[in-house]
Amino acid sequence: MKKLLQIGVMLVIMLAFSVPMLMAGAQAERTVEATNPTGNPWTDGQDLSGTEVILFGAYVDEDAARFRTAMEPFIEQTGIDVVYEGSGDFEALITVRAEGGDPPDIAVFPQPGLMTDLFNQGHVIDLRDWMSENDLRDSYDESWIDMSRHADGAIMGAWYRTSVKSLVWYPPAVFEEEGYEIPTTWDELLALSDQMVADGYTPWSIAMESGGATGWVGTDWIEDIMLRIHPPEVYDAWVAGDLRFDSPEVREAFEYLEEIWMNDDYVLGGAGSILTVPFGDGANPLVMSPPRALLHRQASFITAFLPDGTEVGPDGDINFFYLPQIKPELGDPVLVAGDIMSAMRDRPEVRAVMRYLATGESTRGWLEQGGFVAPHADVPLDWYPAEDRPYAEIVQNADVVRFDASDLMPGAVGTGSFWTGMVDFVSGDSLDDVLPAIDASWPR
Amino acid sequence: MSDTTVKKPYVKPSAVAGETKSRALIAGIPARAFILAIVVIWTIPTLGLLVSSFRTQIAIAETGWWHGLINFTDFSQWTIANYERVLFADDMANAFFNSLLITIPSTVIPITMAAFAAYAIAWMIFPGRKILFVIIVGLLIVPLQMALIPVLRVYTRHGINGTYLGMWLAHTGFGLPLATYMLYGYISSIPKSILESAHADGATPWMMFTRLVLPLSIPAIASFSIFQFLWVWNDLLVALVFFGTRRPIVTTRLAELVGSRGQSWHVLTAGAFITMVVPLIIFFSLQRYFVRGMMAGSVKG
Repeated sequence: MKKLLQIGVMLVIMLAFSVPMLMAGAQAERTVEATNPTGNPWTDGQDLSGTEVILFGAYVDEDAARFRTAMEPFIEQTGIDVVYEGSGDFEALITVRAEGGDPPDIAVFPQPGLMTDLFNQGHVIDLRDWMSENDLRDSYDESWIDMSRHADGAIMGAWYRTSVKSLVWYPPAVFEEEGYEIPTTWDELLALSDQMVADGYTPWSIAMESGGATGWVGTDWIEDIMLRIHPPEVYDAWVAGDLRFDSPEVREAFEYLEEIWMNDDYVLGGAGSILTVPFGDGANPLVMSPPRALLHRQASFITAFLPDGTEVGPDGDINFFYLPQIKPELGDPVLVAGDIMSAMRDRPEVRAVMRYLATGESTRGWLEQGGFVAPHADVPLDWYPAEDRPYAEIVQNADVVRFDASDLMPGAVGTGSFWTGMVDFVSGDSLDDVLPAIDASWPR
Repeated sequence: MSDTTVKKPYVKPSAVAGETKSRALIAGIPARAFILAIVVIWTIPTLGLLVSSFRTQIAIAETGWWHGLINFTDFSQWTIANYERVLFADDMANAFFNSLLITIPSTVIPITMAAFAAYAIAWMIFPGRKILFVIIVGLLIVPLQMALIPVLRVYTRHGINGTYLGMWLAHTGFGLPLATYMLYGYISSIPKSILESAHADGATPWMMFTRLVLPLSIPAIASFSIFQFLWVWNDLLVALVFFGTRRPIVTTRLAELVGSRGQSWHVLTAGAFITMVVPLIIFFSLQRYFVRGMMAGSVKG
């Protein structure tokens, strides 16, 4: 009996203690002050200090901290507090929040397919209401603006970060020791692979496992090859669904892939291990001593997965070269992925933040800290730290830039049957089964 | 009423002769061996996690955790860096505090309400109580994911999104059906004669509830507290939707530590053990009620 009373008293105390914290929370609110809140190019001469803009995206931890640093100059000059919330479950949550009437002011979409879905449902605001396309052309190349355009002409967002996918990683020490040359054509790449096999090495580490998303590593390869064997128009038709998967053009790409992937001499652990190794571990065999594989094709973000202390660069433990061209007449195409900022609520301070994000200046705080490539054309190369400049050069020197096709295709294909099709293909299913199955799943 | 009238004297079955005892022991060996084997198999993943949590990122990536035990003396693989990374991460103390602030009321509120409701449904006579009970039990099968968007809409309209109150209400709502059902099973099994005699002595329903039903239901209440506490403490989904990440709680903070692309998953090994501490304390302090409570509702009067 006494015990019950004690528990009761404890509860009352606990509740009484927590009620005042209901709205306040355990974290002190910070105050933002701007000395001259109208003297900036973003607020249209309005004093918007004291307002708050909430961004929601998939950057967490270090990335989130770096993004916040990049927002500091804006906060100081305008007095608008830019609050960033991040979650690894962004894709699922943004849909719930939009449907539940609680969208953030600005969403940072890691893939444009989802953004297009939410735009179609009326949750994303057309940027043309806020700024002219000419304003955007000051900071983006035409190909990037095209990639943010909806089929009906609307601009759905402003690109903020890009990662370069067309990279091949290698251990420079071994290359120097064996006298290997960096290949500049596909044939040289295959010749180099053969040479490595002859020298007793395993050339390729290919790792595809990614939980429910297993398959995207394969789609990236196919996309890279598509860009190298066909003109960009063919790629665009394929993304739009006008060119079927079961076509000679796409088949040809799979045949190039097969040449490397299905060769048990080329692939570490044989073709059978491609599906079982987590993609994040894909580059690790290159930095082991002795290296267990010498080549790994993966986007620039793979450096984040390398063991702590691994040095990247020509004199480091691992370095990269541009995935070579196949047909010289097509030049050097680059496959990219990236994050795009979309406005979901209309307030003057949200417009101001969007104007800021659409300029290269908004990326400076992050790219100076490394691990960041900006899609903005008004970012000078010398803002980058030395180790990131090669990526930026690849993007800026590209003859053709195209976005990851699987992110642009309808979800049922891009994050569905294209992925599972790659898995089936690697498991040994024939192209005659795999490709028509992908076509059949395309919502038409 | 004193406690002794409630508790039944527990008689140990110790009156068995020594000979039959040892024979029973021998007969029990296969069963014991079987149980031991299951316990070992059940514990291996946790052991692997524990070993991994003390190994370096490179060691985890290169070899399985059992290599750590085989080559135990290879000290280059051992590290406490994973624990340091989690414990001294920004905001971790805040996150623990916020998690407690959410979890404790979210455990207490539904249990209090469920105890009242279970008592009313079991012992008070009012029209429609059977139907009410069927509806509550029916709610057990509604997955909470279905309620996320509608509830979020209501929250947004009333501005309680992202507040502690919102979290308490959400967890209360999601926890109530099971709590009511379990407590009903236990409370309705209290012998009718006890309550009748109390009634004859002039006790009001309130007195019967506070002085008889609640003390008798402590095992069920304690064991459900453990369930609810664990569920709320480990919850990530409800927190992400209704609380957001502006104020950290343990699960959201831990999810952030893993990094934008899951590259730092090795810190999860240490994170798992650190977050386990609080539920373990709760579990062991309520454990003596737990076993009794496991049978809550299994025998109905």
